[in-house]
Amino acid sequence: MRFNFRPQNHWRFKRFRYRTEVLRCANCGTVNVTTRPVCRRCRSRNLQREELPERGRLVAFTTVKSPTEEHKELAPYIVGLVEFEDGTRIVTQITDADPEDLKTGMIVERVLRKITHDGDAGIIIYGFKFRPPIT
Amino acid sequence: MRSVHVVGVGYTRVGEHWGDSLTELMAEASLAAIEDAGVERVDGIYVASTFCEVTNNQAGISALVAEALGLRSVYGVRVEGGESSGLMALMEAYAAVASGLVDFALVVGGEKLSDLLPDEFNSVHSMTLPYDSMGYAGVTPASIAALLYKTYLERYEVPQEFVAQFPVLMHNNAEGVSHAQFPFKVKLEDVLGSPEVAPPLRRLECSAPCDGAAAVVLASDDSQTRRLSGQAVRIGGISIRTDYVSPFDREDPLFMTSVALSVDEALLRSGISRSELNVLEVHDSFSILAPLILESGGFSSRSESGPDVKSGKYSLGGELPINTFGGLKARGHPIGATALYQVAEVYLQLTGRAGKKQVDRTKAGAIISVSGFGTIAGTAVMLSGEMG
Repeated sequence: MRFNFRPQNHWRFKRFRYRTEVLRCANCGTVNVTTRPVCRRCRSRNLQREELPERGRLVAFTTVKSPTEEHKELAPYIVGLVEFEDGTRIVTQITDADPEDLKTGMIVERVLRKITHDGDAGIIIYGFKFRPPIT
Repeated sequence: MRSVHVVGVGYTRVGEHWGDSLTELMAEASLAAIEDAGVERVDGIYVASTFCEVTNNQAGISALVAEALGLRSVYGVRVEGGESSGLMALMEAYAAVASGLVDFALVVGGEKLSDLLPDEFNSVHSMTLPYDSMGYAGVTPASIAALLYKTYLERYEVPQEFVAQFPVLMHNNAEGVSHAQFPFKVKLEDVLGSPEVAPPLRRLECSAPCDGAAAVVLASDDSQTRRLSGQAVRIGGISIRTDYVSPFDREDPLFMTSVALSVDEALLRSGISRSELNVLEVHDSFSILAPLILESGGFSSRSESGPDVKSGKYSLGGELPINTFGGLKARGHPIGATALYQVAEVYLQLTGRAGKKQVDRTKAGAIISVSGFGTIAGTAVMLSGEMG
């Protein structure tokens, strides 16, 4: 846990965390979320970077009332399962909403937010969350 | 391959052991198992601890355990596989004894979690999830359990008590068990009225942080121990499988392929069928995991584990009693030690030493261990002397 806040440990995931960039397999179509040399399904090396759509559908959600040490300042916060048009699913924080504002099946959109920070003087970690769309 | 037997078991009470270090707990459990087995030597020590680097700043822990046992120069290794670490250590020891590399193996699991504050425990527990895509963003194991729980209730259109009755069964079984963390009964309304952790998941549907250590001694049938004359339980087969790390990347998040494959393979290796099992240990770290395991493992039809619990199928005295000493919920879940508590408890059942929790005519039992909602899952089948 102590070493989580080294800048490079977040910088190397910037494509996914800042704009949900994933690797789609050109052979079988599978989306691989974190970077890797071969597709998890067919082991093809032909993986292409792709940004997931900015909008998806909220499939299920819950409120985290018992948080981790790094996220306790934010608790309670909402964690949701978001599904995109192609069936890809990610687990993400849902922000700018109370649980009462949310409905299963509703559209949510990506937004860049602060995720956590390393004390008062350390780095701030940013990443995507999803929220009900601002119309 | 030589056949491999569990010839003795030992364990500490699960709970808060403020005065004992992790190494001391593992040494206590190990000495009890060695004494129970009546063996005069140990050739290899297999240590399971999932979080000892983080909770105890300790790497290379197998040497500390060996020294604490007075077994200088013995072969020692530590095995880590998330919440299935204990079963993985068992499989490594099993392979070594079966091959002839080792005659007498000590397998010991231990974890020390009660020193942690609740949010620190959640951070440590979250390490069993993929950190780079989930953990960093505050996704906790309880929140994944809650998403699966909601999906289950919505898909099968069943009320929450279908799932929430599992902790009631576990506490019933743990009542009066001297090594259990929570040896008392709870009512369904207690479970449903306990604080929300991540709705619909409630506090009494979650295993709790704790300390504990459990150990078993393995020997081949070529080795002469007093246990092989009657108190030996043969390991029929072990299987461990991995799967995609996010349940939501799998075809069906409610079906754990790793559980299904490992149950089938362990039974095949044992040469018995599901219906021949008399007792089963399932990994109920969260209430929802019990139905998911029973349904993925083919013990209940999809969506039918709730009615099966209600009908008594899984109770003591039922067709297939599960978690006869309370399971992860009530006996407790000292992560790296958990699968070895499961093995020790099935051993007690198969040797007629389960006391008030004894299931009649037990000849075959199995344990199912799961890490990260099926990221890793394994099954070990154990056979009594009659079937061994």
